[in-house]
Amino acid sequence: MSLCAQFDFMPVLRFFTVEPAGDLVHLNKPVNSPEAQDQDAELLRQIAGGDRTAFAEFYDRHSTLMFSVASRILNNPGDAEDVLQETFLQIWEKAGKFDPALGKASSWAATLVRNKAIDKIRASQRRSRLAEEAGTAQAIANDVADTVNENLHGPEQARIIQTAIVELPGEQRQAIELAYFSGLTQDEISKKLNTPLGTIKARIRRGLLKLRDQLEGMP
Amino acid sequence: MIDERMEEQAALHVLGALSPQEAYEFKKVLQADPELKAYVARLSEATGALAGAVPAVEPPPQLRAKILAQVAPKQKMVSLPARKTGLAAWLPWSLATCLAVLCLLLSVQNSRVKNALATQAQQISSLNQLAQSLQSATNDLQQTVLALQETNRLAGLRIAMLNSLLSDEPKAVAVSLWDNSKQEGVFEVQNLKPLPADRDYQLWVLENGTTPVDAGVFRVDQNGFVKIEFKAKLPIKIPGKFAVTEEVHGGVASPTIKNMVLASN
Repeated sequence: MSLCAQFDFMPVLRFFTVEPAGDLVHLNKPVNSPEAQDQDAELLRQIAGGDRTAFAEFYDRHSTLMFSVASRILNNPGDAEDVLQETFLQIWEKAGKFDPALGKASSWAATLVRNKAIDKIRASQRRSRLAEEAGTAQAIANDVADTVNENLHGPEQARIIQTAIVELPGEQRQAIELAYFSGLTQDEISKKLNTPLGTIKARIRRGLLKLRDQLEGMP
Repeated sequence: MIDERMEEQAALHVLGALSPQEAYEFKKVLQADPELKAYVARLSEATGALAGAVPAVEPPPQLRAKILAQVAPKQKMVSLPARKTGLAAWLPWSLATCLAVLCLLLSVQNSRVKNALATQAQQISSLNQLAQSLQSATNDLQQTVLALQETNRLAGLRIAMLNSLLSDEPKAVAVSLWDNSKQEGVFEVQNLKPLPADRDYQLWVLENGTTPVDAGVFRVDQNGFVKIEFKAKLPIKIPGKFAVTEEVHGGVASPTIKNMVLASN
């Protein structure tokens, strides 16, 4: 029997459906507008120069996104706090390495905290257990209003992003989530899903391209 | 142009799904390919959107102050290694301090030794100059002494020319050199007539106002020549004149004046 068949994808597939906003979680004002991106780049430049005020503002703008990613990956508030702390100290030290031409500051910060969280999993030998849990835990928010994207992009943009993710074919999104949120390599995903490696590569590639195409043109 | 395989690698890269070796090799390719870099940057925006799709969780309020507090003291120490504690922290500094003190002491000692050596070298140089000066003075004194000795020695010498008193032997001539300090002399004569076997010439040393002192007998060769060393029979205080007489073989106690053949002035 295929391993895929052993998993209950219904909870995951349920997340694909965009539901009307319920109780809105009002975070801060959107921070991923073009103006905000310029401000982020400037903040990081100032942080590289040792500006604590800029560092505090960058924290206010992106700590929710970063803590949310860490919490999703680690599923442990204490570990997520540690990772967030380590990542911000890393930003304090390496802000000068950020290149606005290679992407948004929010994406860069999310990648940093994601990598730290995955490293922590690997260091604490929890990886196998989390790998087993991968695919069954909730990865994507039920309600777009509950997501970080609404804080980053505003309600309309967040809804577009959420729709783009939801509309990905299930097997593509599954492979992408296993890689990004569970830290599995392509080989591990292949084994976990009992699917040929080439198929996994193709699913990931097609899924990301589709997501990218959907988001292209967004600020 | 980015092929499908490279697109797959890029997608796996942005999701962190490459093995460490694969990620290392992909980064090398990425650094050399601007088109691939731009492609990866666009894919990264997709993963950023994916990250933002998770349920929002606010960090604890106190975490902000905690992080900011850590940044402040680390502002000037961000690149330093973690502080060590206990003996491990103090040992390097203690060793460094000891070495610094040791270096300082050695430096001071070295300076003192150098100064002492310089002083000693100056003293040695002065002593050498003094020794050279003394040696020079000694040489001068020795030369003076030698000169005085020579002067004294010459003062004790008496050189006399003896001329013939015989009309038939006008060419006969003699020289007498007398060293009064040694009480001995050298006598040389030329062109003096050889004597028969029963007769000898006798040399005399005459002190002023005293009796002639016998200085020995001699004979000349066929050419009338002889050179002899002689001593007076009695001590000579001040040599005056020299004379030669013809006497019986072996000589006499007092000169026969009428037989005087040579005499100095």
